[in-house]
Amino acid sequence: MTTPGPARKRRRIGRGSKAFRRITGGLALLFGLLTVGFAYAALSPTPQTAQASSVDPAQIAAGEQLYNNSCITCHGQNLQGVTDRGPSLIGVGQAAAYFQLSTGRMPAQENQAQMPRRPAWFNPEQIDQLSAFIQANGGGPQVPEGDLTNDAQLALGGELYRLNCASCHNFTGEGGALSQGKYAPNLHEATNSQVYAAMLSGPENMPKFVDSQLTPTEKKAIISFIKYNGNAISPGGLPLGGFGPAPEGLVAFLVGMGAIVALMLWMGSRA
Amino acid sequence: MTGHSNAEVPSPEELKAMSREELVALGTRLDGVELVEYGERFEPGSPADKRAERSVAKWFLLATLGALLFIVAFIWWPQGYRPPNDPNQWKYSLYTPILGVTMGLAIGGLGLGVVAMAKRIFPHEVAVQERHRGMSEEVDRRTLAAEVADAGHRSGLVKRRGMIKGTLFLAGGGLATMAAVPIIGGMISNPWAKAAGAPLWVTLWAPTVMPDGTVRKVRLANVDGTPVRPQDMAAGGMMTVFPGVPGGAKAADSPVLLFRFRADTPIMVRTGQENFSYGDFYAYSKICTHVGCPASLYEQQTGRLLCPCHQSQFDLHDGARPVFGPATRPLPQLPIELDNEGFFVAGSDFHEAVGPGFWENGKFPAWSSHPQGSQS
Repeated sequence: MTTPGPARKRRRIGRGSKAFRRITGGLALLFGLLTVGFAYAALSPTPQTAQASSVDPAQIAAGEQLYNNSCITCHGQNLQGVTDRGPSLIGVGQAAAYFQLSTGRMPAQENQAQMPRRPAWFNPEQIDQLSAFIQANGGGPQVPEGDLTNDAQLALGGELYRLNCASCHNFTGEGGALSQGKYAPNLHEATNSQVYAAMLSGPENMPKFVDSQLTPTEKKAIISFIKYNGNAISPGGLPLGGFGPAPEGLVAFLVGMGAIVALMLWMGSRA
Repeated sequence: MTGHSNAEVPSPEELKAMSREELVALGTRLDGVELVEYGERFEPGSPADKRAERSVAKWFLLATLGALLFIVAFIWWPQGYRPPNDPNQWKYSLYTPILGVTMGLAIGGLGLGVVAMAKRIFPHEVAVQERHRGMSEEVDRRTLAAEVADAGHRSGLVKRRGMIKGTLFLAGGGLATMAAVPIIGGMISNPWAKAAGAPLWVTLWAPTVMPDGTVRKVRLANVDGTPVRPQDMAAGGMMTVFPGVPGGAKAADSPVLLFRFRADTPIMVRTGQENFSYGDFYAYSKICTHVGCPASLYEQQTGRLLCPCHQSQFDLHDGARPVFGPATRPLPQLPIELDNEGFFVAGSDFHEAVGPGFWENGKFPAWSSHPQGSQS
């Protein structure tokens, strides 16, 4: 009884045995899958982890609570929007929620031509919770984390800025007027994440620039250019708001002409 | 000078004998000026006199200081270019204002000092002067005319010297023609020499007919020449596209704005242009029909396109009809479709001329539009 046992055992794990082939085959398959998996993880581009990516159900629930308190009147019970009050939020994504909440445009105080930038109503933690809730309902674009600048491609950023952004936001980024009380806001007040979120989500009347139109690299180059422009001290003296020749001409005419007239009056007056 | 006063001119001996005060009085008399009141402004050496002197000297010292500072700044200021991200950027940025302020001090201080001197140091006076009476005296006018005519006759320019007169005429004519050429020259070449193929009617979007008879349509391309596909844009997006041919991004009449409207937006299409769009994608010329600025301020919710130059507005949800401002013609719509590789191409050239109006283009084209999808 003792001999067949080890013999059978030896036979079962012998090199040519069926069991051996099964075990080695399984190990090889496991090894192959792991290799492919690791290679894929190493070679594929790192996913754009958003602020809202590391969320747990508790965060979404907290966001829903905040939504029910502050947003539901205009955006509806199921984020479907309310006619003449607010648009649907399904599928707008974390980018839109982050932009509107962190710039204080939402929650809106009143309905007007355009929501002005204000100090944020919610704290960053609450903004993350609300963004997570919005993201959990229909997905949508998300602002990546990390460094959102690309200083190496500053010139490319400038070219893309002038082609896509300068018509409304001005060559200097100071913004400008649109129709009927609407305006393109000043870009130098916005943080890098807010500019990125605006390009992704197209808030209010701004067109949407998705990643297939302006790649993340190009978006970061544009942000670098905006920051570069904002840091520039005008070498010609007072920039007068950076709006260009109209205010400069007005000031030159009123102040300069006024000074010349005053000087003439002084020269011509009796001593 | 002569004939305005009755003062007698003294002889050289009398002049030599006259004092400074007498000469001043004579001078004013000869000019027909009477000094009602004349004298030092302040008692010499008085506190007021010294104060006036100091107030003038103050300006001149300021001018000197400005000049010295200008020289110092010009030579020693670290004026080299610093990019905006450099912490020493302020040094570069301040250079021009510093030069301007110091030079202004130097010139302005000098000028203000001179004015202050005239106002506070120079003698105060109240003078009365007779005004001139009409034109010059008859004798002055006749003698001057005779002098001019005589010079002409004696130099032979009146009756002889045909060579000088002829070449002078040529030189003057050349100068006048030179000034006229830029103004008249533009009217000489005929813009309609190529009839329907005239440059005003044709842009780079026109398909080319290959020698074998096939028609090659022009792709819509990015500024760097990469072709555009529908999946590049999201609803609510806008993209400036150029003809995908060499030099396409540089052609002034060819930039086109490609829009992707939201699927639920009610769109009106212009009659006769029902098939110009591809799905939610619409392409309109970027060149304003007023005076040709790039109209590219896009409000994606209202569908308005604004031109920054003169505030024209176009309603993109109604065939780019002008709704505000000086533009009177809609933006020409580019017919777009997909080629067999899935890239956007222009089905044909624009059906009307791009950009500002001209005589043959008409000012108010016939307009009618109807909701997209309906027949009328």
